[in-house]
Amino acid sequence: MKLTRRDVIKAQAAATAATVAGISLPASASNIITSSKANKLTWSKAPCRFCGTGCGISIATKDGKVVATHGDEKAPVNKGLSCVKGYFLAKILYGKDRLTTPMLRKKNGIYDKEGDFTPVSWTEAFDIMEEKFKKALKEKGPDGIGMFGSGQWTVHEGYAAVKLMKGGFLSNNIDPNARHCMASAVGGFMRTFGIDEPMGCYDDMEAADAFVLWGSNMAEMHPILWTRIADRRLSNPHVKVAVLSTFEHRSFDLADIPAVFTPQTDMVLLNAIANYIIESGSVNHDFVNKHVNFREGVTDIGYGLRPTHELQKKAKNPNSGASSPIDLEAFAQFVKPYTLEYAEKMSGVPARNIEKIAKLYADPNTKIMSLWTMGVNQHTRGVWTNNLLYNIHLLTGKISEPGNSPFSLTGQPSACGTAREVGTFSHRLPADMMVNNPKHRAISEEIWKLPKGIINGVPGAHAVQQVRDLKDSKINAYWIQVNNNLQAGPNINEEVLPAYRNPDNFIVTSDAYPTVTAEASDLILPSAMWVEKEGAYGNAERRTQAWYQLVNAPGDARSDLWQLVEFSKRFTTDEVWPADILAANPEYKGKTLYEVLYKNGNVDAFPLNQISPDYENQESKDFGFYVQKGLFEEYATFGRGHGHDLANYDVYQKERGLRWPVVNGHETKWRFKEGSDPYVKKGTDFQFYGHEDNKAVIFALPYEAPPEIPDAEFDMWLSTGRVLEHWHSGSMTQRVPELYKAFPNALCFMHPEDAKKRGLRRGDEVKVISRRGEIRTRIETRGRNKPPVGLVFVPWFDASQLINKVTLDATDPLSKQTDFKKCAVRIEKV
Amino acid sequence: MKKKMNLLKLGWEILSKPAVHLSLGFLTISGFIAGVIFWGGFNTAMELTNTEEFCTGCHEMRDTPFMELQSTIHYSNRSGVRAICSDCHVPHNWSDKIARKMQASKEVWGKIFGTIDTREKFEAHRLQLAQNEWTRLKANDSLECRNCHEFDSMDFTRQSKRAAAQHSNALASGEKTCIDCHKGIAHKLPNMDGVRESTSPH
Amino acid sequence: MRATLINKASRNLMIFCMTAALAISSITWPLTATATEKVIDQAPQVATLRGTTPLNTEVTPPAMSKVENNDLKRQRDYPQQPPTIPHDISQYQLDKNFNKCMDCHSRKFADKAQAPAVSVTHYMNRDGDFLGEMSPRRYFCTQCHVHQLESEPLVENEFVDMEKIIRKAHELSK
Repeated sequence: MKLTRRDVIKAQAAATAATVAGISLPASASNIITSSKANKLTWSKAPCRFCGTGCGISIATKDGKVVATHGDEKAPVNKGLSCVKGYFLAKILYGKDRLTTPMLRKKNGIYDKEGDFTPVSWTEAFDIMEEKFKKALKEKGPDGIGMFGSGQWTVHEGYAAVKLMKGGFLSNNIDPNARHCMASAVGGFMRTFGIDEPMGCYDDMEAADAFVLWGSNMAEMHPILWTRIADRRLSNPHVKVAVLSTFEHRSFDLADIPAVFTPQTDMVLLNAIANYIIESGSVNHDFVNKHVNFREGVTDIGYGLRPTHELQKKAKNPNSGASSPIDLEAFAQFVKPYTLEYAEKMSGVPARNIEKIAKLYADPNTKIMSLWTMGVNQHTRGVWTNNLLYNIHLLTGKISEPGNSPFSLTGQPSACGTAREVGTFSHRLPADMMVNNPKHRAISEEIWKLPKGIINGVPGAHAVQQVRDLKDSKINAYWIQVNNNLQAGPNINEEVLPAYRNPDNFIVTSDAYPTVTAEASDLILPSAMWVEKEGAYGNAERRTQAWYQLVNAPGDARSDLWQLVEFSKRFTTDEVWPADILAANPEYKGKTLYEVLYKNGNVDAFPLNQISPDYENQESKDFGFYVQKGLFEEYATFGRGHGHDLANYDVYQKERGLRWPVVNGHETKWRFKEGSDPYVKKGTDFQFYGHEDNKAVIFALPYEAPPEIPDAEFDMWLSTGRVLEHWHSGSMTQRVPELYKAFPNALCFMHPEDAKKRGLRRGDEVKVISRRGEIRTRIETRGRNKPPVGLVFVPWFDASQLINKVTLDATDPLSKQTDFKKCAVRIEKV
Repeated sequence: MKKKMNLLKLGWEILSKPAVHLSLGFLTISGFIAGVIFWGGFNTAMELTNTEEFCTGCHEMRDTPFMELQSTIHYSNRSGVRAICSDCHVPHNWSDKIARKMQASKEVWGKIFGTIDTREKFEAHRLQLAQNEWTRLKANDSLECRNCHEFDSMDFTRQSKRAAAQHSNALASGEKTCIDCHKGIAHKLPNMDGVRESTSPH
Repeated sequence: MRATLINKASRNLMIFCMTAALAISSITWPLTATATEKVIDQAPQVATLRGTTPLNTEVTPPAMSKVENNDLKRQRDYPQQPPTIPHDISQYQLDKNFNKCMDCHSRKFADKAQAPAVSVTHYMNRDGDFLGEMSPRRYFCTQCHVHQLESEPLVENEFVDMEKIIRKAHELSK
């Protein structure tokens, strides 16, 4: 008898079903329902809730529940595909521990910092918040309060938050967690081009002949973009893929040129490639002469540590981004020492491999795309490294054309759309404007219909500074929305935890789930998430995508937008604005912030009947006007006519997103290039119009060592990061059983020789110890990540293993972004 | 100088003349002993070339095949029984072993001329190297696999269902031999474009 | 009992470390206030994924789980959901040289392997045209299909299967 595998399995399955379930359908019940009415699902669209790729998702709803999700075939980003997280989106809404009511720490019926979380009404929640925010404002002024949001805020929410903080409370202490993620990319764009965000788009992936990954594991972190690169590479044998990283990971599976380099030496490699381009005579002189300036930056700029830190005191030019003009000749001299041999010595990458990568850039017939994410951005010289990447594209003129594209990827769904474009950073205003620029403040005041001179001109505290200010009792009332900073922030033990639990402070966290940040707070507000509200996100290729509210949030959960706008009703101008401004502008006296910020004639300009009749809109119905459309249209005025043009709001509800600038109904694929960017004048070929002379800048910047290097006591590098199955701190994905079971706990990925040296084997419990703290985890020597000898990798999604207790709160001194990719640790067997 | 010349001369005379004082028995026995010593020494030396230390002594083997082996079940597993290079790559019976060792002289050549001394060169030769081994194992019915994995000792009930099905059919009938399905079990596979058909499901 | 003892010991150690850290930091930064110990020293009240471990403590992580390797098909939550992998793939090669998964799941081996052949969507390119072989955009299977370990999720998921809702709607309409 020949027993096929099928027979074995079938028999087994039947037996298992019978014994385990013990249930079978009654014979009379039909096993399929064919009635078209009962069978019909409502399909709608929304961008994915997770990373910055911005995949379009098709969402099925039935009787008020999301019942299915999959990649939208019509979405140009993903054309029907979705990664495993995207396919399971339907289930992120339904974790059993969803927060459905506000909860306040109380003892004997009143608020107590050491009390127990007790369900309260929204009124009571806002009462205590109002009291604490007013107290902080009264005692310390606008700098006494703070808000920490994220690139997961919808465009509307981020915009409402900026208005409330900067236009209402007159405080610039608002920052997104995109500071941990994208700030160096922003710094790089602003320095090199004078305008934020990539010039190219994802279409480059179907046009390039070579792809170089600089510190990005796209196979796990941007899986759908990786499908586009894999498609291009595997369909066209001439295409080359180079993958550079400090450890081997899944993206190496597609690599033609794999390169594992010593942490921080990416700067050496980039300068060596620039040197190779010059020495091999591959500079595109025509392009460089017409479109590029050269500058040399000041060096020894410190590490963004507390000013009292030894390393910070040693720096000659702490936090300085100053630079002076030079020419190509001087630049050539500057990079001359960066030979291939020197680069090999520093990085550990064989010179012949560096040369292979350099040739891809130098060859005028190879269209090349550089891609990077956190490896470059979470870097104590992140802005510099971004600058160095643009250098090699500008020297060769390989930019702003299909396939020639330096491309900075993003990690959050609206890191671009909200954090960057709306300007929720402590130093920014919408459309790339700055708080320390009086002209920019005046423009904002005019659009917001606020009294002249009211916006605070001093940049506020950035993410890491906010935590230091909380710990030092400089900020006392603090509102955290859509992020989990007690898990995501660096140096939790010494900074974040003491900051939140400082008895002087009142910490509010708005979230859909009870995260560790919520646990460390004093008041928890339940939030609506993703398609439980109407919203819009902007992805990494400048694509703005909107969606409708498809289902209601559970219990009393409300969107962050509703929370922000509703809270503004609690304050009057007289309470929070300077008396002299009110005296000069008496028409603002006695008004609530709600009236001056949101019922200002702009935000409330669109009546409820403009809302789609097919969908709910909780906030609008509550406020009595189409709040999302009003906010979006007021916000869009900032960018229209200034290179950031957005289409009319209603267009986005129909389209699968459009890439700004959208001029005369047309999106822009390649910026700065004549013919594809409407802002570039005829006959100029290229115009880098972010700078007044229409030129981009090549920066001469050296390699500088990282702040902490492994030594005898702490002998290993630690890099942290994500895994494919979980997104960021895992607060959503860890609640989807299939994703949890795919990767339930964090692990310490280690080279087998390092394990052997320490008497460790796979699965052993170890402590990962740094100068700041320690965690306990288990050793993995055979997993998907293969670190070189001397480096370990630990992902940070696991709330039960807070690896950021170990990381160093050193930041790039220019962007203030933390370096989560390198610090020194020791691994001990438990 | 002259003394030395005289000594050499004496030595030559002793060796060149037939034995006068020694018995034939003595000569036979001592010859036998010397033979055993030399024979043993030869084999010991050959066994030395079968150790993992010897194989991974050169970076060509250490950096790629040995690195890849370390993450597989043939290096680390629940019972701790593991294979070293020679278990799979050197035949156990003497004549085949000698034949294999003779072939190895080609590898010495490769080492001297740096045929696979970078990762790129190794990758370029990976298909050829793998095919050599697949052909050898296919021809000897996966002998080196079977040295440890005896068909009669396989307990199908303790195998996964897929493995049990394949082993009880294809392997049992002789339709397939181990290497047909277990290519790439200890080292990464080369680009299988073109050789795809010969990789069977398992 | 043993666990609580360990907990207590490590907690005490943590308190000592925290106090020491704070003592040091208060010398460096005189403005620093002391953190409230009580809340962070207790088992979490709401943070489900922390279990009973206080925020300032680290405990022994669960042992590494085995992969579910029973080859039994699992029910999908909705037709579009990619099936999870019901067997061990830890030794599978999946790189530009070779795709081990397709040794069994390709159309050509469906008869020999008796494994589900990849669905028709896998032959579609970006433009929605059907190719003769699996589309290279689907080459890296693990982007959508994941194995499952033998570990119990920490939080229940209350997702409702559409079949239940449809059946209910159908019953009501009768």
